[in-house]
Amino acid sequence: MRLDALSRLVRLSLARERKGAFFSAFGVAMGVGALVFFLGLGLGVGRVIREDIFPTDARLVDVVPPAVSLGSLLGGGKLDAPTVERLRALPGVEAAYRKMNVRVPAVTRYDGVFFGSRLRMGMEVLALGVEPALVQGDVQLGEFKDAGEGQPIPSLVSTRLLELYNKTFAPARKLPQLSANMLVGFGFPVEFNRSYVAAASASGATQAAQAQVVGASDRALLAGITIPLEAAIRLNRAFGMDAENYSGVTLVATDPSRVPAIVDAVRGMGLEIDDQERRMAENSGAAVALTTAALALLSILICLLAAVNIAHALSASVRARAREIGVMQAVGASRSDIRAIVLAEAAVVGLAGGASGTAAALLLALGVDKLAAGYLPNFPFKPDSFFSFPWPVVVGGVLLGLAAALAGAYFPSRRAAATDPARTLAG
Amino acid sequence: MIQARDVTKEYVDGDGTRVRVLDGMSLDVAEGEFVAVVGSSGSGKSTLLHLLGGLDVDYRGEVAVGGVKLRGLRDKALARFRNTHVGFVFQSFHLIPNLSAVENVLLPSHFGAAPVEARKRAEHLLERVGLGAKKDRVPVRLSGGERQRVAIARALFNRPRLLLCDEPTGNLDAATGTGVIALFQELHREGLTVLCVTHEERMSAAAGRVLRLQEGRLVEERAGLHVATGGSP
Repeated sequence: MRLDALSRLVRLSLARERKGAFFSAFGVAMGVGALVFFLGLGLGVGRVIREDIFPTDARLVDVVPPAVSLGSLLGGGKLDAPTVERLRALPGVEAAYRKMNVRVPAVTRYDGVFFGSRLRMGMEVLALGVEPALVQGDVQLGEFKDAGEGQPIPSLVSTRLLELYNKTFAPARKLPQLSANMLVGFGFPVEFNRSYVAAASASGATQAAQAQVVGASDRALLAGITIPLEAAIRLNRAFGMDAENYSGVTLVATDPSRVPAIVDAVRGMGLEIDDQERRMAENSGAAVALTTAALALLSILICLLAAVNIAHALSASVRARAREIGVMQAVGASRSDIRAIVLAEAAVVGLAGGASGTAAALLLALGVDKLAAGYLPNFPFKPDSFFSFPWPVVVGGVLLGLAAALAGAYFPSRRAAATDPARTLAG
Repeated sequence: MIQARDVTKEYVDGDGTRVRVLDGMSLDVAEGEFVAVVGSSGSGKSTLLHLLGGLDVDYRGEVAVGGVKLRGLRDKALARFRNTHVGFVFQSFHLIPNLSAVENVLLPSHFGAAPVEARKRAEHLLERVGLGAKKDRVPVRLSGGERQRVAIARALFNRPRLLLCDEPTGNLDAATGTGVIALFQELHREGLTVLCVTHEERMSAAAGRVLRLQEGRLVEERAGLHVATGGSP
């Protein structure tokens, strides 16, 4: 059967049964719209968790020394230079970046103008030294290296800390909102070997220094400052603390698929993996995925109901049009022509339902985003959009409508094709 | 044009009884003949028509139309045969209600090769049956006679060699029926083979040969007078 003839017959048939076609398409649109909406919401929230709240790089493996081990008591289980070299030599490891905590407490006491507002504040500061190459991409000012005692220490702040500051601390204290760019160059005093809450861990005097923000990084310490590794080593040496063993090593795998083997090898060396963030990301992602899956299942059920509705509607239509089908057979329609006509009618209904349902979901998402922007408080990590609609979701929504309609039309089309023209045209 | 040999057709009726409607029936119709088949109600006249037109191929024996043996043809080939070789005219017209007259006439064009200037031919055929001015009317806005004329135009659309008519005047008043019979006579004069199942005396009188179907077989009631030849309608 020619396509133009098929399209003409389908158009005429749908025009005659436009009410039934509308309700069938509406059912499909409801199911597809709900599915696309919830998938978009799940993907959008998942993206926020993955990229903003717990930004993880699938190629990174954070190695830490074991909390307690027999090896450590005997001098093993440490992250010293030879161990780092062994880690670097593991198959699938592209690079190894050492990290060392500043092993004395530190405080900052700020009393001055803070971006136009008067600020007077003291707080504990954790400091972590990292190899410059690990964070080089996020450094916006100068070089990320230790210039020595008496010189400002280049410091990176966490992008997540900045987000928390902007969404909670700053509004509560009427302080200005800050961006990473605004913070670059900002200096603040840090006093090492001093604590407001505990005794200093090293004997001797405190050491005052100036920290200078050189950028914000996802890889920076969340509650503290991230400084060059050499600065951390220098400070630990100055206070007589361990400056030989590292607090951690970040391994970069050549490919995410190599990570499990690297993890096994690291554990085989008596070391541990710090995957707390990754597990939190995975747990949060799993919760979102589970909720999304439940809602998607509900939506698919609606699509199934729509398919059943189409099956009923088409069955009734085929019964009512038996004589008309017989006439078509008498003037030259084959069984496959009849089947094609019924399936094409359903396909048009399904495509229309799928497309309108998908469009409705996109519009609803737009509306929800607008409402959220206007009425929801500005909480941390609040995204510009709660939704993500990659093209496979959009195209898949339309195709699901088509598939549901065709599934519903399967048996009616077979029944129509089996019409006996001699019987229906008799009398 | 038509050769049927030892055709037997049975069906099972509502109470499960096997009914034989055609019992070793044979028939020969030459090209250009106008044959009327008469018989009592339920004698199998319509069944015979469905067999000859390829609407029903569940029978024993052999039927060939225009050299095409119908039994054993696959569905597509059978559909092509119905599309190109025969035209059907039914007692109840069987027009598609939401299609205009010209669209009804065009219906066979949807199931065959794309005809050149199909619409022009459909309009020509409607002119030919006297409905040129009503080509855009849907069936409900046409009289019974006009609907039957539309059905005849539809049957002629693909220039069939055989016209199979099932009580074509059965639902028409006398005057309208006369007009339809005259149209068949005209088509026959132009060379079309017409086989008409009928109760109508006037239709039988118009036919060149009359066969009676009784006890599942055809018997000659009136022999043919002449066989017309000519161009296509």
